[in-house]
Amino acid sequence: MKAAVPRSAGLVRAIATGELSAVEALEASIARIEATDGRVNAFTGKSYERARREAGAVDAMRARGETLPPLAGLPYAVKNLFDIEGVVTLAGSRINRGQAPATADAFLVQRLKAAGAVLVGALNMDEYAYGFTTENSHYGPCHNPHDLNRIAGGSSGGSGAAVAAQQVPLALGSDTNGSIRVPASLCGVWGLKPTFGRLSRRGSYPFVHSIDHLGPFADSVEGLALAYDVLQSPDPLDPACHALRVQPVSGSLRLGVEGLRVGLLGGYFFENATPPAREVVMAAARILGATDLVEWPDPALARAAAFIISASEGGALHLDDLRTRPDDFEPLSVDRFIAGALQPAAWYVRAQRFRRLYRDKVNALFSNWDVLLAPATPVSAPLIGTEWLDIHGQQQPCRPAMGLLTQPVSFAGCPVVAAPMWPAGTGGMPLGVQVIAAPWREDLALQAAMVLQQSGVAHLKEVEL
Amino acid sequence: MTDIEVLNYVKASATALGLSLDEARTQRVALHLARTATLARQLETLPLGISDEPAEIYCPLPFHPSLDGRKTR
Repeated sequence: MKAAVPRSAGLVRAIATGELSAVEALEASIARIEATDGRVNAFTGKSYERARREAGAVDAMRARGETLPPLAGLPYAVKNLFDIEGVVTLAGSRINRGQAPATADAFLVQRLKAAGAVLVGALNMDEYAYGFTTENSHYGPCHNPHDLNRIAGGSSGGSGAAVAAQQVPLALGSDTNGSIRVPASLCGVWGLKPTFGRLSRRGSYPFVHSIDHLGPFADSVEGLALAYDVLQSPDPLDPACHALRVQPVSGSLRLGVEGLRVGLLGGYFFENATPPAREVVMAAARILGATDLVEWPDPALARAAAFIISASEGGALHLDDLRTRPDDFEPLSVDRFIAGALQPAAWYVRAQRFRRLYRDKVNALFSNWDVLLAPATPVSAPLIGTEWLDIHGQQQPCRPAMGLLTQPVSFAGCPVVAAPMWPAGTGGMPLGVQVIAAPWREDLALQAAMVLQQSGVAHLKEVEL
Repeated sequence: MTDIEVLNYVKASATALGLSLDEARTQRVALHLARTATLARQLETLPLGISDEPAEIYCPLPFHPSLDGRKTR
């Protein structure tokens, strides 16, 4: 079946001009989900009744001649760690099934609702976001729409797959160590991990309080920017939301990269990339005029510290359930959760002390550069069930290795756009590029991403399902 | 740490935290912890001074520049 849902920015315009009704857009999205999700398994819950109410409200506003909000009628779905009023927040787990339904929408869902977007459902993920593959044993693995035998990436695998399968033009996910950028890379869609502290996390199920970020996936750079502008808002009730005002980006998207200092990350980011990953980042560098190789400070130490902090905070968060019902956890991650809970405190404290020094070094790097490029994943999507990856003759455990290139960047809190690219030698599978900017400069990362999109090297590909 | 030392550590710390692990799980957890120990050793090579504080995760109240000195009513 061919895709039926138009791209996000065009869809919003079509609804705004009355060329298409919100209900028609929604029904096309629902038809696509119903026709394809039996094979993709992106959705763990559907909210069609609510969606029809929300779409009907948009059409009623239009009929009354009222000005429509910026995302009026745009269908979207959220990783199932976002609270949806009246729905149990699974966070990919079996354990959470026993909890009460959420009494309110998550903050970012409220923002999208106020902007007129239409929520169609909740999406598959790794249990409690501890994974990069969405091989969820409770709800089944999420399949990559470009090859159903391959992983969609994770932990926001359902979000990446739902956009790639053109079930929805927009989805929300979370990213602690790469959980937006990895599935965006492997599914061939656009993803934005904003600056740490930019978007409120209120009403989302946490993984690692000191590193968790939330952000959008979309089918175009314009779609990412539209959603991101709506999602921004200071939130004094999220202690980690550091943004004090909204900084819209949609108006500056087409400024180009002239005058920007664009560099290509070498060293660690080159050594841990296979030939297709090197190919896509070189292609992006050519388009953006990046010729200089740049050394990111202490990437291996940053990955080690992010790994230790994630394991420790994640293990501690679930300690009660690990004591009383370990067999109800995801078999692929329960032992890592336990090992994390047992880590000596000195490891964790040292990792947090390193993080402060690391921040200074990364911020200093951006006094010389505006945008830096790196592959998003070392490889394109492996087959479901893959245990080991060969990266330049080194055997790496597949599941943690998918985050090798993303972990050091999120640990610094920098904003990153993942751009969907299509190298040779991957059997037609995508592999993304990270477009990285200094903290609070999402505008620059999106401007560079826009240039990649306009050049034609970064884009979605239609899938036949 | 040797393999035996990691195993013993897992058993002792699991007991301290009230986690009941069977033998197979103890072995698997020890394998994960040994991998993390390798990462922790990398961080140990980093010179840190006593003034190198952890990244902040707690703030009692946002800083307010106008509250300079004694509060007036």
